[in-house]
Parts: sequence; C-alpha cells; structure tokens
Amino acid sequence: MDKRDLHARPVRARRRLRLLLASGAAAFTLTAGLATPLNPAPQQAQAKDDKSTLTVAVAQSVDSLSPFVAQRLISTSVHRLMYDFLTNYDAETGKAIPGLATEWKTSKDKLTWTYKIRDNSKWSDGKQATAEDAAWTYNQLMTKEGSALQNANFVANFKKVTAPSPTELVVELKKPQATMTALDIPIVPKHLWEKEGDLAKFNNDKKFPIVGNGPFVVTDYKVDSYVKLKANKDFWRGAPKFDELVFRYYKDQDAAVAALRKGEVSFVAGSPSLTPAQAASLKKTDDIKVNDAPGRRFFAIAVNPGARTQDGEKFGDGHPSLHDQKVRQALFTSVDRKTIIDKVFQGYAEEGAGYIPPRFKDYFWKPGADQEMSYDPKKAAQLLDDAGYKKNGDGKRVGKDGKPLEYRMLCHATDPNDKAIGKYLKEWWGDLGIGLKVDCMDNVTDPWYAGEYDLAFDGWSVNPDPDFVLGIHTCAALPAKPKETASTDNFICDKKFDDLYQQQLAEYDPAKRADIVKEMQSQLYDSGYMNVMAYPNAVEAYRTDQIKSITTMPKSAGNIYGQDGYWSWWSAVPADGSESSGDSGGSSTGVVVGIVVAAVVLAGGGFLIARRRRSTAEERE
Amino acid sequence: MASESTTARDQDAVPDGPAEAGPSARGPRSRSTSGYLRYVAGKLAGAAVSLFAVLVTSFFLFRLIPGDPVKAMTGGRQVSSEQIRAMREEFGLDLPMWQQFTDYCGKALTGDLGTSYQFKAPVVDKISEALPATLLLTGTAFVLYTLIGIWLGSRSAWRHGRFGDRFNTAFALTLYSVPSFWLGLLLIIVLSVGIGPIPGMFPTGGMESGGESGFGYVIDVAHHLILPVITLVAVEYARTLLVMRSSLLDEMGSDYLTTARAKGLRDDEVRTKHAVPNALLPTVTLLFVNLGNTVAGAILVETVFSWPGLGGLFYQALSVPDLPLVQGLFFVFAAAVILMNTLADLIYPLLDPRVGR
Amino acid sequence: MKTDRTKPSAEAPAGETAKSAATSARSVAWARRRRAAAQFWRQYRGHRSGLAGLVILVLIAVLALAAPLITGSDAQSVTDAPGTPLEEPSGEFPLGTDQFGRNLLALLLWGARVSLTVGLLAAFLTVAIGTLVGITAGHFGGWYSTVIMRITDWFLVMPTLVLAIALATVMDKSIWTTVIAIGVTAWPTTARLVRAQTLAVESRPYIERATALGGGHRHIMGRHVLPNVMPLVLAQTTLVISQAILTEATLAFLGLGDPMIVSWGGLLQDAREAGAVSSGAWWYLAPPGLAIAVVALAFTLCGRTIESVLNPKLGVTR
Repeated sequence: MDKRDLHARPVRARRRLRLLLASGAAAFTLTAGLATPLNPAPQQAQAKDDKSTLTVAVAQSVDSLSPFVAQRLISTSVHRLMYDFLTNYDAETGKAIPGLATEWKTSKDKLTWTYKIRDNSKWSDGKQATAEDAAWTYNQLMTKEGSALQNANFVANFKKVTAPSPTELVVELKKPQATMTALDIPIVPKHLWEKEGDLAKFNNDKKFPIVGNGPFVVTDYKVDSYVKLKANKDFWRGAPKFDELVFRYYKDQDAAVAALRKGEVSFVAGSPSLTPAQAASLKKTDDIKVNDAPGRRFFAIAVNPGARTQDGEKFGDGHPSLHDQKVRQALFTSVDRKTIIDKVFQGYAEEGAGYIPPRFKDYFWKPGADQEMSYDPKKAAQLLDDAGYKKNGDGKRVGKDGKPLEYRMLCHATDPNDKAIGKYLKEWWGDLGIGLKVDCMDNVTDPWYAGEYDLAFDGWSVNPDPDFVLGIHTCAALPAKPKETASTDNFICDKKFDDLYQQQLAEYDPAKRADIVKEMQSQLYDSGYMNVMAYPNAVEAYRTDQIKSITTMPKSAGNIYGQDGYWSWWSAVPADGSESSGDSGGSSTGVVVGIVVAAVVLAGGGFLIARRRRSTAEERE
Repeated sequence: MASESTTARDQDAVPDGPAEAGPSARGPRSRSTSGYLRYVAGKLAGAAVSLFAVLVTSFFLFRLIPGDPVKAMTGGRQVSSEQIRAMREEFGLDLPMWQQFTDYCGKALTGDLGTSYQFKAPVVDKISEALPATLLLTGTAFVLYTLIGIWLGSRSAWRHGRFGDRFNTAFALTLYSVPSFWLGLLLIIVLSVGIGPIPGMFPTGGMESGGESGFGYVIDVAHHLILPVITLVAVEYARTLLVMRSSLLDEMGSDYLTTARAKGLRDDEVRTKHAVPNALLPTVTLLFVNLGNTVAGAILVETVFSWPGLGGLFYQALSVPDLPLVQGLFFVFAAAVILMNTLADLIYPLLDPRVGR
Repeated sequence: MKTDRTKPSAEAPAGETAKSAATSARSVAWARRRRAAAQFWRQYRGHRSGLAGLVILVLIAVLALAAPLITGSDAQSVTDAPGTPLEEPSGEFPLGTDQFGRNLLALLLWGARVSLTVGLLAAFLTVAIGTLVGITAGHFGGWYSTVIMRITDWFLVMPTLVLAIALATVMDKSIWTTVIAIGVTAWPTTARLVRAQTLAVESRPYIERATALGGGHRHIMGRHVLPNVMPLVLAQTTLVISQAILTEATLAFLGLGDPMIVSWGGLLQDAREAGAVSSGAWWYLAPPGLAIAVVALAFTLCGRTIESVLNPKLGVTR
C-alpha cells in the first residue's frame, strides 16, 4: 500500500482532532463561565416570576405518585398534600379533627360509622369532592384485587362502605375498631381514577397537573430528581402561603446539608435525622435554624424468643439461653443507655424506657424505679452467675453444654446508629463475658423472618394511634407457615398481651384505652424481649431567610417533615424579601468568582496555546 | 504472536481490569469484502452469544440474593397469606425455576424485562428514564478524557523522558490512583460548599434545579454537570493517555518516520501528520471499551453527586432487592461493554490500513 | 516480543552449566536465579519512580505492622475513646478524632492493616486464578483452551464493579467477601497474559526436549512454564494489588464491607455517614482517601517498573 496514501488521511484527522480539542475546551469554559454567574438559579427564578418557592431536600426518591402503590415516607407525605383524608390530626394535641369529613358518629353496637362529608372541597379540575369518591376509594381497597394495594390494611375489618348521598359516607364493620378516625387513606377522584385499568400498575404520573383536593397540587415530577407542587388557592382550610413547594431528592444527606448551607434548598428533612456533626455545624451558621424535635421512633433491641408459627410449630435457630429471662435481663442491665444517648446520639435523643415514645403523651409509659433495668454491670454478672452461666478460664461465660455464649445480632447496614451502638454492645457484653457478632446487611428481613438470629436492632415509627405497633406483637401476627412473611415484629406471642390488645381495640373511651395500652407496655418491658434503648430525635434544619415561620407538630416542640398532617408546608410563611434572595451577598460573590474562574481558564488556555506556538517557532528556526 | 503482544501491552499500560476487554483478534485475515462480511457475521454471532450468557448470569446470579421478593413488594405492610399467594402468582414466583427462566428469556427477546417490584413499573421504562442522564454524564466525560488523553499522551511520548513527560505521566497516574468517590466528595467540599475564601460555585448534586426551560435549562444542566464530569475525567484520562503514549512510542521507531524526516519535514509535522494518526489506531479500540466501562464505572460518581442515572437506580434496586430491576440493569451494563467491544472489532479493520481492504 | 525479552534470563546460564559440571543441576538453577534476581534488582534500581514506590510501600508496611506498638491495642475501642467526637487536629490527636472520639491517626494505622491485607489477598487470589487458567489454557490448547478462553472473554465483558457489588451483596459482610468479590471478578486479564506467555514458552525447543524425555503435563507446567511466567505474574500481581485496594475502598464506601472492622474505605464511609462532608470535618475525610491514593500509586509505580525491567521496550516509564 502506498505510504503517501496512508498519510493523506492523517492530516485531516489531525486537524479534526485539534478542532475537537479546541471546541471541547471552549464548550467547557463557556459552560463554566456562563453557568456560574447564573448561580443560584432557583432564587433568580423566584425573583423573575415573583413567586415564593419552598424547596425541601429529601433523602428518599418518590416511588410512585399513586397512593395505592407508593410505600415510601416521601410519597405518603406528598399524597397528604395532594389528597384530603377523611380526618386529620390536630397539630397541637394529635387528636382527630375534621378533614374531608366534618363530623362522624358511631352506632350503638359500635359496628356502623357514619361520616358527614364537607361540601366545600373541590377537585382541582372544578368537580365537587363527594362521599362517592371516598366510597369508591375504600371499595377498591376492599375487593380481592385491591387487597394487594397499599393501605388495604386499614379496611381489612370493613364489611361494607356506601355513600347514600354526596355528603354522607357509611362504613359497616365486622368487629369494633377504635381506629376509625385514624384512617390514613388518601381519597382519590373517582371520575378520573375509574378510567384507569389496573390500579396496582397505575403510577399516576403521566398527566400533569394531577387532579387533587389537598392544599397543594402536583404540577411536575421527574423520577429521582424532584416533585413540584403549586398551592391550591381554593383549599377549604385556606390557601398555603408559599406559591410553590418542591421536594428535591438528594442521594446523599451530606449533599443536602451543603445545599441548605448555600441556599439551594430551604429545608433539609430529618429523615434520616441530621447527624450530630451536621447539626452542630449548622447551628453555627447564620440564617439557619436547627429544629431538634422529639422523634416518633423508638430504637430497640429485639430478642428472638424462639420463632414459631400460629400453630406453634417452631423454626429458626435463636439461641436457647435467651429463653431465660435472667439472661435477657443481664444483657440489658449491662447496657448503659445514657452513654448511648451521650455518645452515639450526642444528646439528640431521649433515653429509652417504655415502648411508645414520650411525644405521644397519652400513651407514654415508663417503668418505676423497682421495675427498671438500669445500668449495673455487677448485677448483670450476678444474674448470669445465678442463671448458671459462669465465666471460664478465658473470661467467657459458658452454658450448661460447655459452649461459650456467643450471640448474633442483626443490624441494618444502612443505619449508622445500628453500627455505632453495635460497637458499644460488643464491648459491654465482651466485659460481661459474652461474645457478639454484629451482622450488618442491607436486607435483614430474610434471616429475620426465618427466625435465624439471636438479637436484632429494631425500630418503628409510631403513629398517633398505637394500634399498629401493638398489633405486631400479637399471636395473630405470627406467620402461618415457617419463614413466611408475616406482620409479626419479633415472634412474640403472649396470651395476656393478646387479651389486652383486643380490649384496647374495642375500647372507644380514650382514657380507658390509654390505660390498657400502658399496661401492655409494662408487660412487654418485663418480658425483656423488646428493649427500647432510645427515642432518637428528628433533627432537621431550615433557612430562616427563606422561611419566616413554620408549624411543628406538636406545635410546642415537634417535627416538620413527616408530620401526620399537612401543617408544616400548609402553614409555612415565606421570609420577607426571600423573593430577592438571588441578590444576596453570597451569590454575587459567586458571580464574581465564577467570572474570575472563567477568566483564569481562558487565560490558561491562551497561555498554553501561545507556548505551543512559540515552541513550534523555535523548532522551525 | 504479534496480536497477542499488542493486547498484552494494552493491558500492561494501565492496570485495570475492564479496559483490557479489547478485541481478541485484530481483524480478518482475508482482505476481500466477503472476508470482511464473514468476519462481521462472526463477531455479531459472538456478541449475541455473549449477550445471552449475560442474560443467563443475571438471572441466576441474582436469585442468590437473600430477600423475599414478596417482602420487597409489600414493603413491610401487613398482608395476609392469600395476598402473598396472589402476588407470587402475579409475578410468576410460584413457577419452577426453569420455567421462570424460560419465561424471562422469552420476554427479554420481545424487549420486556419484567416489572419492577418497588416501582410497579416496567423495568424497561425505569431504565429508559434513567438512561439519558447517564449517557449525558458519561458521554461528556468520555469526549473530554479521550481528547485530553490523546493530546497529553502524544505530547508525552514525543518528548519522552523529559520533564513534561514525567510530570504528565506522574500526574495522570496519581489521579488514576485516587478513589473517584473521594475526589467527588472533596470537590463538593471545596467547590460546592466552599472552604475559607472559596465560595460554593457549583450545585451540590442533582441534574437540574427544576423550573428552567429552553436555554436556561441547558445552562442549568451544564452547571450541574461540571463537577461530576471533572471527577470522571480526572480518574479516567490516565488510561487513554498511557495507551496513546505507548503506542506512539512504538511508532516512533518505525522506518517511515525516518523517511519522513529525511524528506525534510519539520519535527512537529512528522508527529502530527505521520506518527500520531498511526498511533491512534490501537487507541481507538480502547476508546470504545472505555465508553462501555465508564457507564458502569459512573455508579460511584452518580451516587456522590445524586445524579439521576442508571448507577443510582442500580444501587436502589440492590438494597430492596428489586430483582427484575437489578437483572435488567446488570444486563444493560454488560450489554454496553459487549456492544462497544463488538463495535471496536468491526471498526478496527476499516481503520487500520494495514489490515484493511 | 515480550517472550524474546525474557529469554535471556531464562536461557543465559545454559552456556555456563558446562563450566561447572560438577555442581548439581539444582544448585545451578539456584545460582542462575540468584543472578537473575541480582540483575533484576540492578535494573530496577535505575528506575526512580519504582524506587520511590518501593520505599513508600516499605514505610507503610512497617507502620501498619507496628500499629499496636505505636498506638496501643485499644485504639479501636469505643468505650475507652480518649477524645470527644470530631475534634479538630491538635497536639494530642494529630489527625483529630472520629465521631466516637477515637484517635484518627491510630485508626488510619489500624486501617492500613486491613486495607493492605485485603488488597494483597485479593490480588493473590486474582493472580492465582488467572495463572492457573492461563497456564492450563496455554498448555493444553484444543477445545479446552477454546472453552476456557471463551469463559475468560465473557468474564472480561462483565462490568467488574457491578459484578463485585452484586457478589458483595449476595454474601455476608466480611473481609473474605470483599476478597472473593474482587478475586472472582478481576482474574481474566491475568489469565490472558499468562496464556500468551505460556504459548510462547512452550514453543521453545527445550520444552520439546522435555516432552520427548517423558516429562508429563505436570512437570512441563510446573517446572518449565511456571518459572518462566513468574516474572510476568509478579508484575501483574503488583498492578492488581493497587486495583484491589481501590475496589476494597469502593465496596466499603458503598456500605458493603464489614462495618465492625476499621479499613480505609470503611473510614471514608463512616466519615460520610457522620456528616463530615457538610460539617467541614476535612481531617476525617482527607487522610484515608490520600492513604488509598498513595498506596495504589506506589503499587502501580512498582508494577510498571517491574514490567519495564522485564520488557525494556515498554520501559519508557522513567
């Protein structure tokens, strides 16, 4: 092949290469130079359109905009804003107050509930929201196909739901149910949804704005990026103060905090809670308020009591020594809860006691001094000696079978607190002579449901109505077959606890019901199968130069993100002049620096090219 | 022999696994068009076999992941055993494994990769939603690190042993040794959050602020793109640089360069007109392979910068575990590499005048 | 090309054997190897970057081994942590403290032990699989080679990181998982290199002689091929280690490592979880990343130098 021929191409190739290089560099510089001065874009947009936007950074992405499909907290929070529920919870007391229903009454036999539906709630397409919509929504959940949908658990005890008139909804029950004013089911517009075929596969994310009747209307949604809502000016309780609400997804909580610092977002959700380090550094920052709210979660250590089915068939391989109450008590009297609060949570948590967190005042219970398993390593050692687990030559506790005690503990790899507390437990129990292997996994449910664990980190977010978190410790919640998915939390099954559970469910008098619930907690505490270590606070933060005021729940000291109502976002008031925050000092520095950077890059590029020219020239000589 | 040693050198130049997925045979032996067609057919068949193998692997490998799919679907809600049975039936989980597998393969042929457990949406839809973001990120990074790598690599080789070369190589190798996620975090601290006198200039994550349109949107996305792209380019360009450098060094001993010099061409001309174009050929194959790998390699950068691409989706899917989605994504990642390798195989003989028709 | 370069070291002593006919074949072989090693070292010394890498590695290895002596064995204890959470660097804590109040410098030293161990083990596993596959494929040829190399090619196209993540998710969280995840995914490169080298070695006449003299497969592969591919394998190991250390850090960072063990990647993951990025705790974030980069770089430098000593044509890395 001819050499010349071979080299004819390269000249072009080379020119093209250089051209490409130059254009690539130019494009990059241009982007950097142009884009940087525009920062921060959102505030500028506000200034331009003269509308106030509240941007919330969340650590979860929306899984579905359909309330029948969505499972994540972010999605249910958005649904709260899109659709009205029958009832709502008072921001101060947490008691049920009117939502779509204005009032409700129950029949003498406690089996029929009649709700009066308000006549001033309109869907955002102009149609009236009626009892018919509510009945349709509930009926969908009650059908055979509907039972696989989200929220179906609320209607499991329903016999029949009808709407005799547009303002009247009647629910007939199979058994009395005390939670009838806590039906957290978003009610969707029947006239649009009945046209959608299979609800299990409909994600409600094709047509915008999405028709709803809540305080906000979803106008835009981008998977894994953001959900945008605009204020519903016709909302019956009154229009929200912010014109626009955006939930923006950050995979990394740290990135979200950084965005808050810069003013890219107005609020960082405390789910997961901000870390002590983040909270401490944000507290030192101007114009940022850290909201340290008592949490609604409990953080507990669950003990495997021996997994079994409803029929009593045993399975799993929980350590038999843990069936001895003395051993369990020894374990938990050697745990220093105060250190956990001070060191791991660094004060952003309450010390654990009863099962239900103290923020739910009505149901909160804590053990008396004689009942409490307080930190006492000596007593723990004594308890183990008494139970027959003596230390051997190596300082290990040995069982009757001659094997040293060694427990496995399930830990959520995604929860830093699990890992941190695991480290402490390992050392405390190590001092006691008990070995601990902390198994951290992304997905703990498999060994958990198989009963293949000794101890586990456990925690639930508690609703204002405690029915659910109590129900998961009843015999009825046990699996039907070994290793099958079931609603049981920890395979606890106790006749006395079950009787109390049934009593509270049928008790319509709040005070009496609360007493029963406390008794149940006392019993759970003594069993030593559920040991609450702490109630972690929900630590969140917002910019006071963007949000003037916002309602927490409870009002005095409560959380903002993940409330049981829509109070926070509905009540949030824009800060004065937040519309013009695009002109604030920070971003103008940004502009200057952006220009400087662009100039430096250009100059550097110019220098390189000049140098190249020169060197070529030198070679020519 | 010759082909083996070329491959070996490609591999040695940069100590990383995926890059070496280069084409094994360097073009067809025959120079006729029909020979090339036969060669193409062979390569395509090979690619098809590989794709099928990947499909098989992804199906069986992820069956091993602990985690009850039904549990993933219900998200820990209270469900009765009838509901569980109904769900198992719906997703075909009650069928024997081999039947699930044949169903999966059959559907995959028609472009159906199943339905995501957690999103209740077709896997293909979820992937195509996330694909543009990944393509934008990796595509931009690819163009930049290729250009930078070729440019610096050829300069380095031409003056090898001098300070510029040593500095270039050392710098590239250093960045190459840096964990990409760490570099990303540092860039966020310094350039997004701001440290000391440096103000935060870039967004901390995501692909857009939302609410922009038209040109404003382009600028907004570009603004978000800068830091992730810098991170990817910084850790990736060494690969191209080193291969370019070593293939140019190979060329430099060639006779035709001496001839060119003897003809009186200037040094610069010899380099840009003769040496570099020839040295580019081995690099081209590497480029395709790089592109395929960058797609999967972007997982970390996407995580750090909250980029709404395939990497983030993969990570979300794994932790559930959302089997259909995980399988689908794994298939896409592997398919990207296979596709690019095949393309490289097909293009190489067309580019290489020594092998070409 | 490569084979030509390794030939001298393998066959050079052939002429000398006659001279010392009295010495046994074994001692000749040893002397030959010693000479080859000495020569190798002489050439290696000439590469500044390689020397720098080696010095760094030795230094870090010594520090890691001496960690218990330097910091005391309870540096990892959370209940006896000496400081308060996230203290800035000071005289007492040169690199500050982590969220438990532990001394970060001490953790960095302890982390070196885990990161280096995992890197070395994973690299050895990788290279062992690769060498075994490569030698047998090269030696036996035929359909065995075809099948094996098909499998190798197929592993090559698997996205390594994705496969490793998937494997680490499937298995328990422990350092062995990490080792296996890296080992199982990274071997194909080595396999192909070793196969090429094996083919080259086996084409030499003395292999034919050995076969004619009745040397079995085992003998040929173990006595003749293996020693000749060892230099290549050594270079490859060094390069794979740096890759393995990076992958280990990556897996740990994604939360797929054992959270109860302190490693460099684990420290980075801890730092991120503690919110070090947004609270500006640079002293927590910077050192582990730097340490990873330095060690990975040092291994790369050593690997490239070994390579260029063995194959001077590539040896333009100086």
